[in-house]
Amino acid sequence: MPFRYLPDVALADIAFEAESDTVDGLFETCALAITDIMVDPKTLRNTTQREISFVSEDLDRLLYDFMTELIVMKDVDSLLFGKFETKVSPQGTSLKAVATGETIDRERHSLRNDVKAVTMHLFGIKNEGGTWKTTVVLDI
Amino acid sequence: MSDVTWEIPTTYKPGMQVPARIYATKKLLDNMDSGVIEQVTNVACLPGIARYSYAMADAHWGYGFPIGGVAAFDTEKGVISPGGVGFDVNCGMRLIRTNLHYSEVKSRVKELVDLIFTLVPAGVGVKGTQGFAQSQMGDITSLGVKWCAEHDLAWEDDPEHVEEGGYIKGADISKVSRQAISRGVNQFGTLGSGNHYLEVQVVDPARYLDRNLAKEFGIVHDDQVMVMIHCGSRGFGHQVCTDYLRTFESGMRRFGIEVRDRDLACLPFSSKEGEDYYSAMVCAANFAFVNRQIIVNKVREAFSRVFHRDAESLDMHLIYDVCHNVAKVETHTYDGINSKVLVHRKGATRSFGPGHPDIPAPYRGVGQPVIIGGSMETGSYLLVGTQKAMEETFGSTAHGSGRTMSRTQAKREVRGAELQRKMLERGIYVKAATMDGLAEEAGMAYKDISEVVETMDRAGISKKVVALRPVGNIKG
Repeated sequence: MPFRYLPDVALADIAFEAESDTVDGLFETCALAITDIMVDPKTLRNTTQREISFVSEDLDRLLYDFMTELIVMKDVDSLLFGKFETKVSPQGTSLKAVATGETIDRERHSLRNDVKAVTMHLFGIKNEGGTWKTTVVLDI
Repeated sequence: MSDVTWEIPTTYKPGMQVPARIYATKKLLDNMDSGVIEQVTNVACLPGIARYSYAMADAHWGYGFPIGGVAAFDTEKGVISPGGVGFDVNCGMRLIRTNLHYSEVKSRVKELVDLIFTLVPAGVGVKGTQGFAQSQMGDITSLGVKWCAEHDLAWEDDPEHVEEGGYIKGADISKVSRQAISRGVNQFGTLGSGNHYLEVQVVDPARYLDRNLAKEFGIVHDDQVMVMIHCGSRGFGHQVCTDYLRTFESGMRRFGIEVRDRDLACLPFSSKEGEDYYSAMVCAANFAFVNRQIIVNKVREAFSRVFHRDAESLDMHLIYDVCHNVAKVETHTYDGINSKVLVHRKGATRSFGPGHPDIPAPYRGVGQPVIIGGSMETGSYLLVGTQKAMEETFGSTAHGSGRTMSRTQAKREVRGAELQRKMLERGIYVKAATMDGLAEEAGMAYKDISEVVETMDRAGISKKVVALRPVGNIKG
């Protein structure tokens, strides 16, 4: 799994670290981790697509805003996503993504924790030896 | 300072403006995570902080401020910090009484809890059954429970039994983002997830601590059935905090404010950004009051349907509703002067003593009710505020039991279905949105609430009234 939970980082909440060879891959991995916290992804069908695009001031903010957008769509549109295709601009300030998933179905989906927000705690993207890495702490 | 009061002097860390004060027994202090000491002393470094940076007996690590933290700031020279309020603005507790005896309810607990579970949605991405239009959000978040009373969504005496009379003044919906409004508009009357719960409880005769005080709150017999609700401002408040953390981080560079921890982002309360956050945060706080009100309406409906009596005849009056994640402007006397201060309580409860004008008239002689929620296995407490809290802690005390174990570790220790079965054997019927979520909230993952409550009582900043034992629980 390209993300790993960090149980000792935030007692009351949930933290994970993610890594990928590419920035796009890192964004997709973080998105999948958020889904995994909220639902067993094996119970999700990929029947609905949403296009997401926005601009932020830097790469850190772009990832923060992307993850926040997924949480907003969970509350506003009752959507959870199991598949992501993301394209981050070379400058790291704009994102185009396609998220595929479906509307929450309490009977069929194995739901887990509701994510309230992405926190800034320990947050930031690093490139170590060509691998893109980040730590994310979510308020539960 | 005493066996339950500890101080860390300003020499502990460069930049501390005031000492830090921790309320804890030696045992609680020894077991407190090191993050609390680090964070309570970081808060002591913030501009304009008054008297002390406090950590209550239930304190544990949080974002920037510790959970269980209290800090008051000068309204002119001090700061406001979203991290001192928390993501779940006005997460709080509500306690309603009934005149039912447990013997009348025991055989109906499952039916009752199952019905409430259908009326009060809980868990990931749920929507409430009480629909409002986005165009109503300004009025709702300005007037809180007062708005509910004006629209037949609250009993006449409900607003006065809510902190601040059911709404905090100073709301301005124009300071709230479109995303926050969209997240919140369909979530009224929902419990949420995490550590939020709705519990049917009984007054525990073995720990019936002050019968005379209890009578003041309509608690008049052993095994009296009560309902406790723990939840907050849902996606509305979470988004307000998210939005303003972003604003504050960039604003700090402009004001040249440096903090020891990125999560301590703060700005002068008198700045435009500070005022805007306060107005938006007040909207979220009032949203939470309304959310808990809608839930209470559903609870009254459920009792009425199960017991074939109207809620009035079941005496289902609100005892009180307290915030435990909020920042409010209050007047306090310190250093011999009456001053307006911005009191941040993050995982801490207001604990105003007898005689305070902000306490509803029926309780003014005894003090403000303080509701301390425990884990779903160990029970909860009703306390009252004290004059000593006014003198020592800007009228503040603890809020709950405080976690000691991560969610992952709790799930390793016990499976949800096994916990549910064991709790049923102990006379607690639990209905959970998810089994994983249930395991994460097991009693062993929390501090001993009795020791937390005992500490606050011995310190004199709140006084025990009754202990409440769970018999039915809905876990978000």
